[in-house]
Amino acid sequence: MSDKNNPFFVGYLPVPGPLRRFLLLASVLVVATFLLTGLLIGSTQDEPPASGFRFDYGRQTVTGVIELTPYPLLRVTQGNDLIKPGKTLMLTSGGKAGVDMRAMGLEGQLATVSGIILQRGTIDMMQLRGGRQGLAAAEGDPPEMVTEQLGRWKVAGEICDGKCLNGAMRPGRGLAHKACANLCLLGDVPPVFVSTQPIEGSDFMLITGPDGTRLPDAAYNYIGQFISLEGDLERRGDILVLRMDTTTMELIDG
Amino acid sequence: MSVKYIPVQWNRNKWLYDAVMLVGVVLFLWLFIFVSPELLSHEFPINPQVHNARAFGACAFVMLTVILCIGPLARIDRRFLPLLYNRRHFGVMTVFVAITHASYILNWYFAFSSSDKYEALLFANTSYGQLAGFPFEIFGVFALLCLAVLAATSHDFWMKFLTPPVWKRIHSLIYFAYLAVVAHVSLGILQDQQNHTFTVIFIGGALAVAGLHAYAAMLDWRGGDERGADIDGWIDICDAGDIREGFAKIKILPSGDRVAVFRQDGRLSAISNACAHQNGPLGEGRVIDCLVTCPWHGFQYDVTNGRSPAPFTEMVPTYNIRLNGAGVQVHRDANPPGTYVEPVQIEVTA
Ligand code: HEM
Ligand code: FES
Repeated sequence: MSDKNNPFFVGYLPVPGPLRRFLLLASVLVVATFLLTGLLIGSTQDEPPASGFRFDYGRQTVTGVIELTPYPLLRVTQGNDLIKPGKTLMLTSGGKAGVDMRAMGLEGQLATVSGIILQRGTIDMMQLRGGRQGLAAAEGDPPEMVTEQLGRWKVAGEICDGKCLNGAMRPGRGLAHKACANLCLLGDVPPVFVSTQPIEGSDFMLITGPDGTRLPDAAYNYIGQFISLEGDLERRGDILVLRMDTTTMELIDG
Repeated sequence: MSVKYIPVQWNRNKWLYDAVMLVGVVLFLWLFIFVSPELLSHEFPINPQVHNARAFGACAFVMLTVILCIGPLARIDRRFLPLLYNRRHFGVMTVFVAITHASYILNWYFAFSSSDKYEALLFANTSYGQLAGFPFEIFGVFALLCLAVLAATSHDFWMKFLTPPVWKRIHSLIYFAYLAVVAHVSLGILQDQQNHTFTVIFIGGALAVAGLHAYAAMLDWRGGDERGADIDGWIDICDAGDIREGFAKIKILPSGDRVAVFRQDGRLSAISNACAHQNGPLGEGRVIDCLVTCPWHGFQYDVTNGRSPAPFTEMVPTYNIRLNGAGVQVHRDANPPGTYVEPVQIEVTA
């Protein structure tokens, strides 16, 4: 209840003296709270992995054979200083879209691609320019490309969208990023499986549905989570492709 | 005490209040957005859009936490009451910060696809059946909708229009919004972090809100207003001598309503304890310039008839009052708001 020693505050009247000191202290505390939390939370954000668009390399143009896994790959036959023959590139359009439609008619044929490199460790993905400037059939007979079958594997790790994983967005993986990754994958950006242990010398691989289909709907519940699954592994140039057996997908605890 | 509704009735204390809060928020955002990237000096930095989204999200969380701590603090120590005074402006500020957070997210994570970004927000992730990977954004959407409703109805016009009890009930949505934010963060960013500084601050903030509310509720429960006994419709309040000049005693009537019995110039009057503005506890206020003054926002009433002085039109119910020996009694039935009741003179005792 009110008592005489308790100064009484009325909003539209001047604040009584003793209360003024208390309120000054409270104000300082409130401001200090914002100052400290802002500084602490801001300066303890996790560092994204070394990955991103390499605008510094400039636009790259190379030629090779298009393969549909169904996600299109380019097996480089005529490269340049940065991208050597024997290299395999995953391809994407600008934004959250793959190049499936654009590559459709070019399966097994020579094509020239042009765009910006996305790099995380090795160079594995190119974001193509729009239209025929980014992807067009090339003159010449396509050479025979070898696909090496590596048998059935059980792998543990995480399904990501290959574009954000390669640094198109930083951060670009994990559960807080899941909705964004789903959107990319729905747009046919190539999905990538990041394995906890290197498989045949690589800790990531392009992942597809069974029998050359797209990522199955069932996989969307597992994006960004630690899972294990089985599938048929193959090597196309310097990239691994895993055709998953949808029924073997399961969560791993921890 | 408003005759007509203007957007905000400003006074010096409101300016000061808003200035302090604004300084806090601006400092937070400035340190987070401009200073911390330098401190982090990542080789491949977080995208500015995500960094900014995090800054505004975390800021909205801290703001909500501070707002929700003020209520119980004011109940625990009345010197905090002035912080309650202009809390609504702070709440409205929070909505703008939260909207900025959401738009950074929408224009980044949910942009660049062939779908509409608002639709994408709803369909991109539909793993509702699991905790890890749950579409935590939906809790953010819910919280933001609640905050928007609260901000839109924060003006006194809506309180009058909806009546204070309904308004109060709507505004307890703030607690659901806060719970939703807790879920939003727990199922979202906390699942991904390596550095747990934010986790500690986040849990600390949420525990402070919960702990202060529990403590204030316990104090209320222990030292709350008492119920008066009903004798033929008349309720014993206290001894007349117990009420100090300019102050009141509060009792709970059989109806559950509270009555405040004030002493002014040696005479006693009884009015409803609930302020016509926002149900503030009039009995915890005091008489200033012959008028009972509400401790929350300073609305004033003539204690003999429960009316605000002209030109204001607010009214609270009055109660019939009588002396029974040394004791004061109030009749359990309220008079219509604004009814004049003759005050009773306290007999001067030695
Ligand atoms: C439409 C509404 C909202 C959406 C779509 C949304 C979305 C998101 C997303 C995607 C993240 C993760 C960002 C990241 O990758 O770091 C996030 C983080 C967060 N959100 Fe929201 N949010 C919404 C509303 C809110 C509201 C209303 C609040 C609080 C009042 C809030 C508070 C937070 C906080 C504190 C974080 C963690 C920030 C940090 O990492 O420091 N969000 N939100
Ligand atoms: S509740 Fe606002 S002045 Fe009484």
